[in-house]
Amino acid sequence: MNDINNLNALEAGESQRFRKQERNVLLRIYEFLGIYVIAVILLVVGFFVNTSFFTPENFLNILRNIALLGIASCGMAFVVYIGKWCDLSLPSYMALSGTVAIACLPFGFVPALICGILAGMAIGALNGLVVGWLNANPILWTLAVVYFMEGFMRFTWSNTQIYPDQVLESRGLDTTAAEHFLAIFQTDVLSIPLIVIVMLLMFVLCHLVLTRTKFGLFAKYVGSSLEAAKSSGINVKLIVLYTFLATAFCASIAGIFITSLNKLGVFYLGQGYDFKSVTAVVIGGMMQSGGRGSMVGVFGGVLVIGLLTNIMNFIGINTFQQDIVTGTIFILVVGFHQYQLRSQGKDYA
Amino acid sequence: MHNKKEFSLVQVLDKNRALAMLIIAVLFFWLHPGARNFMTVYNVTTILKGASLSGICAVGFTLIFILGQLDLSIGSVLMLSGMLTIGLQPQLGWTLSTIVGVLSGVVVGIVNGLLVSKVKINSFIVTLGTMIVVRGLMHLYCDGGAKSVDDFAVADWLEMPVLGVFTPLALITIGIVLLFAFILTSTRYGRGFFMVGGNAETAWLAGLNRDRYIIVGFIICDGLAAFGGSLFAMSLASSTANAILGAKTLMQVIAAVIIGGTLMTGGKGSIIKSFIAVLFLITVNNGFGCFGFGFEVQIFVNGIILALVVLYEAYTVFRRDLLRGQRPYLLEELEKNRT
Repeated sequence: MNDINNLNALEAGESQRFRKQERNVLLRIYEFLGIYVIAVILLVVGFFVNTSFFTPENFLNILRNIALLGIASCGMAFVVYIGKWCDLSLPSYMALSGTVAIACLPFGFVPALICGILAGMAIGALNGLVVGWLNANPILWTLAVVYFMEGFMRFTWSNTQIYPDQVLESRGLDTTAAEHFLAIFQTDVLSIPLIVIVMLLMFVLCHLVLTRTKFGLFAKYVGSSLEAAKSSGINVKLIVLYTFLATAFCASIAGIFITSLNKLGVFYLGQGYDFKSVTAVVIGGMMQSGGRGSMVGVFGGVLVIGLLTNIMNFIGINTFQQDIVTGTIFILVVGFHQYQLRSQGKDYA
Repeated sequence: MHNKKEFSLVQVLDKNRALAMLIIAVLFFWLHPGARNFMTVYNVTTILKGASLSGICAVGFTLIFILGQLDLSIGSVLMLSGMLTIGLQPQLGWTLSTIVGVLSGVVVGIVNGLLVSKVKINSFIVTLGTMIVVRGLMHLYCDGGAKSVDDFAVADWLEMPVLGVFTPLALITIGIVLLFAFILTSTRYGRGFFMVGGNAETAWLAGLNRDRYIIVGFIICDGLAAFGGSLFAMSLASSTANAILGAKTLMQVIAAVIIGGTLMTGGKGSIIKSFIAVLFLITVNNGFGCFGFGFEVQIFVNGIILALVVLYEAYTVFRRDLLRGQRPYLLEELEKNRT
């Protein structure tokens, strides 16, 4: 025990020496605040771009626009955190949960939502079992699942879209459940959109799960070094399974919201959210090597993307051309983050 | 003793699984009474033509996989290149516009390679970023619309049957595949790719410049993707800003390269097997089309095949990990000595 304490003291001294060597104040601020430095810079830029930037309506608007991405990124962050690269089947979770929720509307409003989330989590369980027990490559396996699920959903609903009110009317049922379902996205609670509240709650919940629970600590071990975690007696397979279930849970909630937004259930809902959420997670400081970063950082990443989009909309840049700016800033931020990690001697990201 | 190679049917089948799958698929669709027009000249020509875009992209992608990297940006690169080829053709003519298209891919490759090798960012993240940027550049160039030309001479020439079922498009594809397969397996520089991907440290000690290999790998990968996109756009004489083409090609190429037996961790792979796997995927899609099934069955079957291959790979690694540290051949030797 004493040895370990000595070792810790030694490591602390070592890192302090690294800190002292770095006289650069800006770097130390960046180290402490992370992505929020960029968020503050963007706020200042926004102040000069347009006078209506600093209004409560606009901030609510930004939050509403990033809410879907935020909930999806919450889920993606779990997979990145345990060092399993990414989960490309995120769109499948979203599409399946929303469509199943619509198909289950005859059973009532709340059962339909539960069915949708459970359907998404079923694929999550499949992914978790294969990646955890067989140690399959997560990118390739989830890619196969994307194909598989797209074919499955096209086949089951015979290539067509399903509408909530039609599902109920065709069975001669009351359409109040459909109205409830379509209203999810538009609902306001105390003049704040429901989806924004859900997103913030999800971030708080996921942050608590990652920092205050046994699962979160074990996930950090697994992400930092899978072999070491296995050797120290952690049930790695179970942790991977739980992680994929958490991802599927978050993505399914996002899926129900996106289905309510589009007012129909179809296989292509959520397409593009796989790479978008990876971008947000990585820009927020969670690296693909795993075990690094926090949910606070991921929220910063999502916020930066929202602010950037909002400012570019004020300037009047076309939606497609915004990709150029977003991508460039993504590469620059990640490159700078990498440089900063390397200057601390952590060159394995 | 344990080094002696024994003939094992399972191993031979595993090594040539792409070819075996292709043969099984062709025989199945040929002999099945439901797909009577599968083995016609016109249909085989269509399959070979359809394998052109993914086939050319798979060549460069195999190279990147052998180096142990990943390139997600090929989907965007091939669309940008196709758009440039079509958009610049009225001013520059076919040759120059194709060169400009391929050069755009080469530039993206240089950027990717420099960021991966010099700035040392993970290739997954770098190419994710360049994928987004290049897609934006394509939309900037074409304003989110479509471009087309009135000159159909080249498109007709590319799709005209020359040698039986082979069109110039298919011949160019096969030529590129054979050329790069020869370079990769039979030249000293090409063998270096395997060494850098398999064990970068040994390669460095042996005097191979890892950074240069990675940059060259990305240049070849993105350049070939750009060339494939140009050829595809040329054969259609038009190009649309529809992101589906790039995403689907990327997914098909990844699936084909994995089925062809290339390892994602690097150091092992074959260009010809990747091309055969592309042919296999296109054949399966085409065959189910001949049955009269829709797209949903094709994509479902593709998913199941890819899932089975990934599961099989994972299972072999799982078995090997179980045996790690054990020496089964010692037991065999003991048995032999006893008798």
